[in-house]
Amino acid sequence: MGFAPALHAEWIKISTLRSQAATLCAILLATVAFSLLATADTEGADTDPLFSAFLGVSFGQIAAVAFGTTAVAAEFQGGALRVSLAAVPRRGLWFAAKATAIALPVLAVGLITGLLTWAVGRAALGDRAETIGTAEGLRAAVGCGLYVTLMALLAAGLTAVLRSGAATLGILIPFLLIVSFVVGDASGSVADFLPDRAGQVALHSTWDGSLGPWTGLAVTALWTAAALAAGAWRTRRRDA
Amino acid sequence: MTSIDVRDLTKEFGPRRAVDRLTFRVLPGRVTGFLGPNGAGKSTTLRLVLGLDRPTSGTATIDGRPYATLPEPLRHVGALLDAQAPHGARTGRDHLRALAASNRIPVRRVEKVLEETGLAPAARRRVKTYSLGMRQRLGIAAALLGDPEVVLLDEPSNGLDPEGIVWIRGLLRRLAGEGRTVLVSSHLMNETASFADHLVVLGRGRLLADTPMRDFIDARVRPRVRVRTSDPAALEKALTRHGHEGVAHDDGHWTVDHARVDDIGRLASEAGVPLLELTAQEGTLEQAYLDLTAAETEFAAAPQEA
Repeated sequence: MGFAPALHAEWIKISTLRSQAATLCAILLATVAFSLLATADTEGADTDPLFSAFLGVSFGQIAAVAFGTTAVAAEFQGGALRVSLAAVPRRGLWFAAKATAIALPVLAVGLITGLLTWAVGRAALGDRAETIGTAEGLRAAVGCGLYVTLMALLAAGLTAVLRSGAATLGILIPFLLIVSFVVGDASGSVADFLPDRAGQVALHSTWDGSLGPWTGLAVTALWTAAALAAGAWRTRRRDA
Repeated sequence: MTSIDVRDLTKEFGPRRAVDRLTFRVLPGRVTGFLGPNGAGKSTTLRLVLGLDRPTSGTATIDGRPYATLPEPLRHVGALLDAQAPHGARTGRDHLRALAASNRIPVRRVEKVLEETGLAPAARRRVKTYSLGMRQRLGIAAALLGDPEVVLLDEPSNGLDPEGIVWIRGLLRRLAGEGRTVLVSSHLMNETASFADHLVVLGRGRLLADTPMRDFIDARVRPRVRVRTSDPAALEKALTRHGHEGVAHDDGHWTVDHARVDDIGRLASEAGVPLLELTAQEGTLEQAYLDLTAAETEFAAAPQEA
């Protein structure tokens, strides 16, 4: 029983649902659209121009979270998980295949989204883009791809723990939309280590917390790894 | 030859014991009917055999191995547990394609089982447009996908139309005829009687019977003879003389319990009683089953108040 056949099966499952394809498109559309709005809107000199170009990621990540959640939540409907685990009884392997089948398309779309957002953002920012170097822009574009992938996997792990898509979205969406905005500029605190705040440092040209772009993404990756480990543990332990 | 071996299998859900020290063996080349009232532990047992639930104690093995250790298990064991499992937004064909890929089963098997279950015309439609009977056929198609030597079906005739029921009967007989091991759970007695060779009967998680179907019925249902005569008085006299008790029915026929046609025919002839009809009434699986489970039914219907 190999990993490749299990991954192939999970990929077929994801690619044969139109709603999943639509959600992937939404990552790109939401990010680019809201970034455009943000660059048009912020005239203030004190805003980070790079982050205003990538502000749309705050909305694109919701689509990534929805993608990871629904891919796993579908297994908890109507005994689908039993069919899956009867075909692939090695549960750890099955869960790894599921996570990989979620990560790869989100990473691809996330990288395209990052590059497109940067291209569109630079054009929209005009003069203000001159302060941002190409390396910095590319770093943010790659950071965007990695960040939405980690968020999709975080949601996938959490869904496997809670065994419910509604519960996962009920926790993650308010967390991403509200908690982050409320905590807002209170940086330099533990809030910097929340999964979304830490990962989004990669989308800034300046930062004053203790986390840089790559260390920030590493912190998000730790959150994601914890969620996936908990999800795998629950999948292995529980009766299907 | 592949058999299913269940040994001392026990599964507890909290304080409730769903499966209680169950031991039985399912042999190849015949259809084994898996009977029991709702909540008797049939589905739980099937999940334990498939390694989906963890037993509290005991073992369930296929060909001597736990299911979870089989490489590419769909090539050895095919199962239908729940017809609602396929995702509604996916097509029937895509559902089967994903399953086939997981066990490296060639795609031509997908087309084959779609043909075999009569789903080919609907294969590219989304599952949510399927009727219950079609979902049932898709579940059976999934079970047959890997051309397995062991087939486990949980209530496969659920929702099938009369044509589908005749079809599945033929399918089960054919699978057993090919030497496969076939275990089919049901709570429909007449249906089970039409395809099973052997019975495993559960009640409250315990094994109540593990016998050939014919023996099961013969051991539990008393033989009975139906007689019609133009001279009821003479018949009654002759029956009484030989220690039989005849019961007259409104439409003019008589029934005699604990009797065989050989005896009644002979005594009627000796007494010169003219017979218009003499038939043996064979016991049905339903009668035998109800006799067995009368004391075991967990959810017996409460007597209705007038």
